[in-house]
Amino acid sequence: MQTPDIGRMILERTGDAHEIEIPFGDLLKIRPLQLPTGWIVNVGGTPIDLSPTRNVVFLLVAAFLVWLTLWLTGRALTRQREQGGGAAAPRGFANMVEAVVLFVRNDVAIASIGHKNGAKFAPYILTLFWFILYCNLLGLVPYGEKPTGSFWVTGALALTALLTIEISGFVTLGAKGYLKTIVFTPPGTTGITAVLLTLIMTPIEIIGKLVKPFALMLRLFANMAAGHFVMLSLLSLIFLFGNIAYFRWAIAGGSVVFVLFMMAIELLVAFIQAYVFALLTSTFIGLMQHEH
Amino acid sequence: MPLFASLQAATEAPKGPFAINPGVSIWTLVIFLLLVVILAKTAWPAILKAVEEREKKIQEQLDRAEKANQEAQRVLAEHQQKLAAARNEAQELLAAGRQAAEKVREEIAARARAEHEELMDRARREIVAEREKAIAELRGEAVELSLAAASKVLERNLDSEADRRLVREYLDSLHNTST
Repeated sequence: MQTPDIGRMILERTGDAHEIEIPFGDLLKIRPLQLPTGWIVNVGGTPIDLSPTRNVVFLLVAAFLVWLTLWLTGRALTRQREQGGGAAAPRGFANMVEAVVLFVRNDVAIASIGHKNGAKFAPYILTLFWFILYCNLLGLVPYGEKPTGSFWVTGALALTALLTIEISGFVTLGAKGYLKTIVFTPPGTTGITAVLLTLIMTPIEIIGKLVKPFALMLRLFANMAAGHFVMLSLLSLIFLFGNIAYFRWAIAGGSVVFVLFMMAIELLVAFIQAYVFALLTSTFIGLMQHEH
Repeated sequence: MPLFASLQAATEAPKGPFAINPGVSIWTLVIFLLLVVILAKTAWPAILKAVEEREKKIQEQLDRAEKANQEAQRVLAEHQQKLAAARNEAQELLAAGRQAAEKVREEIAARARAEHEELMDRARREIVAEREKAIAELRGEAVELSLAAASKVLERNLDSEADRRLVREYLDSLHNTST
């Protein structure tokens, strides 16, 4: 048995592709579903490949599932309220979803942004939370893929956070107040000191503004990709030690147990990272709102 | 793609998650923004409507309670202020009364003292005047008596003016030595 190229295999599995595996396709001799390629658009002379990849398909799946979950919940809650004459407590699956929604709305969005504007940002924060959560969880489904394991996806989500933070800051603080968050003069300084410190602080402020969404992007991507890497590495042990007599069964069993354990952790991480992304985004919005 | 297809066919090295693919970002943005809009239209109102109504009602009640509390506080403060003002006024009145009484007392005492002094003075003056009158009278009587006595002794009438002067001078000398 030839030595498998584990590194290459892991990179291939964690990368994007223009095809989707059909469940049990290997056994049923069904070829993977080929996605169209070559949708190249020129944006200012730079060609951008807009052809859908596996990540794009799973983004759509996640978005659809989020919509389905919340739409069904909304419908169930409305029906339950009508049945109970407007005063009945929600129950069942809808109740669970409502509890999560309320937690994110009250303890993440409103608690971080403030009572005045928190409710206005709640739909954005909630969508962020549910979308990231479903993207993360899709990676744990057999034959699934987690789009959040690509920094192009997390980068786009972080970009919406950056725009939300800066635009909401501009709207709340006004042009003058917003400019103060960029051109920063430390209070209590005058004359040449103020000019010097402003020259030093302004690039730092701009870097600070960009680092926040950059950290959001990297955190989510790294956490999700790392889970994939660890699980694939553990599974690869089976193939590395595949030619050791007798022991290979023990190694395979141990590897599977470890992967199962990692999957349990990944399940936890899926929720934690969705929560962290939502929490940090609302915290940054809140910081901007209360900047003086 | 079979799970380990790459194990057989080794072509160019895959880039894994680090491949350059900005198209995915654009897809993500579009999908995410669409999801934000669709959820805002179809899901959040149904889920959050009752919650928001409930919150609004509670907030209104809290606001009303707060307002009532503030009103009560304001009235209480007003009353306390009024009470304090009344107490102050009473204190002032009492102090003014005390002061006036003290003044009257002092005036009366001063007047009594002055009257007393005046009486004493007059009495002293009268005594002196009476004494001097008595002395003068006594002196006149003494002249007459001496003259009468002397005429008896000399058996002759010593009624001339020169005699009287003599005796008066003598008495004056007596008076001068006695005083």
